[in-house]
Amino acid sequence: MNAPDRYERFVVPEGTKKVSYERDTKIVNAASFTVEREDHTIGNIVRMQLHRDPNVLFAGYKLPHPLQYKIVVRIHTTSHSSPTQAYNQAINDLDKELDYLKDAFEAEVSRVGQANQHQGF
Amino acid sequence: MEDTVSYQRLPKVRIREMRDDFMKFELRETDASMANALRRVMIAEVPTVAIDLVEISVNSSVLNDEFIAHRLGLIPLTSDNAMEMRFSRDCDSCDGDGQCEYCSVEFHLSAKCESDQTLDVTSADLHSVDHRVVPVDVQKAFDSDGYDPNQRGILIVKLRRGQELKLRAIARKGIGKDHAKWSPAATVTFMYEPQIHINEELMETLTFEEKESLVDSSPTKVFSIDPDTQQVVVMDAEAYTYDEEVIKKAESMGKPGLVEIYAKEDSFIFTVESTGAIKAPQLVINAIKVLQQKLDAVRLQDDNNFNELDAHLGGS
Repeated sequence: MNAPDRYERFVVPEGTKKVSYERDTKIVNAASFTVEREDHTIGNIVRMQLHRDPNVLFAGYKLPHPLQYKIVVRIHTTSHSSPTQAYNQAINDLDKELDYLKDAFEAEVSRVGQANQHQGF
Repeated sequence: MEDTVSYQRLPKVRIREMRDDFMKFELRETDASMANALRRVMIAEVPTVAIDLVEISVNSSVLNDEFIAHRLGLIPLTSDNAMEMRFSRDCDSCDGDGQCEYCSVEFHLSAKCESDQTLDVTSADLHSVDHRVVPVDVQKAFDSDGYDPNQRGILIVKLRRGQELKLRAIARKGIGKDHAKWSPAATVTFMYEPQIHINEELMETLTFEEKESLVDSSPTKVFSIDPDTQQVVVMDAEAYTYDEEVIKKAESMGKPGLVEIYAKEDSFIFTVESTGAIKAPQLVINAIKVLQQKLDAVRLQDDNNFNELDAHLGGS
């Protein structure tokens, strides 16, 4: 009947930006990032990675409503950094971590694959 | 600006068991958010191919058309090349109507029962135009040397004399978030690695009967008693389900701190079971790739001209 289309959960509508950014009007070095069509998968890893940055005073994310397919990431940093810098840094670090993990995993798969072959699997 | 600093981690992996449809591995030196992101991506965002559109020309079976279409959708298809395929909504060489090799695979099924015995229509009767995309059990029968007569595909419908089923189906690339039929994962779980400490000094004050009742208090077989030394030993730490029954038992015996169990917060044990659409090790690799693509997509775009302004306000 009036159910939203299933693809609306992950297809960014035309004319909408994937990531938008709004600075806090009252606090310096505080901002909210709205990420369209993302959920806890991205929200939680970005938040936890931001917590590793000592210049980040506050980092949190929320999924405002289960039928609004977006997350809001809020970041507050010290004067040595800025929310955009911390956000970019977090994503770059996560990307590098996954690069490393992918190589480590592939090496381990070929090692175990060879061991299995020797055992006659 | 401190562009050279990095808070990146270097996770470690150790595979314990690896088969095509199952694997168990340890993931260390990262946190629960990363483990959970990988789990979520494996279940809902690694693409596979599944039947999405069915045109039925003849159906005189006992099941109605939409019932059969639904059953066809749930048949896992080999999706090794799904990562390279296009989603039909992004495909510019067709309208996603199945006329294009980049985003769809066509299947045909034609079966009629001519005898008095019921005819089983199975996934083995589905004929694909692309040999790379076939029902998983068909691929399995093809790979193994001997043909197993008991293994004749996934049952779709049974026909009696005179009944007929004829259809054309289009398989498309999709993700589990859209519909569970596209999920390559049967189950993906991870647990924290438990660390169990037994206070040996306090344990020595227990009688053999008390030790036995302590061992038996755990609903899973975590502890056992060494028959030679009569000491309580950890038999299988990973059997522990974080139920805290042994800890409660120790307290009720008036011996708090007899057993202490911690979850190692940076160490996870994953189990991955695949439907067969993608082999389990490849499923994990695809999940890592998909997560990287997702991260790339949420990077701030350059047209956000706040960077300069921020630098001024940041005072760096």
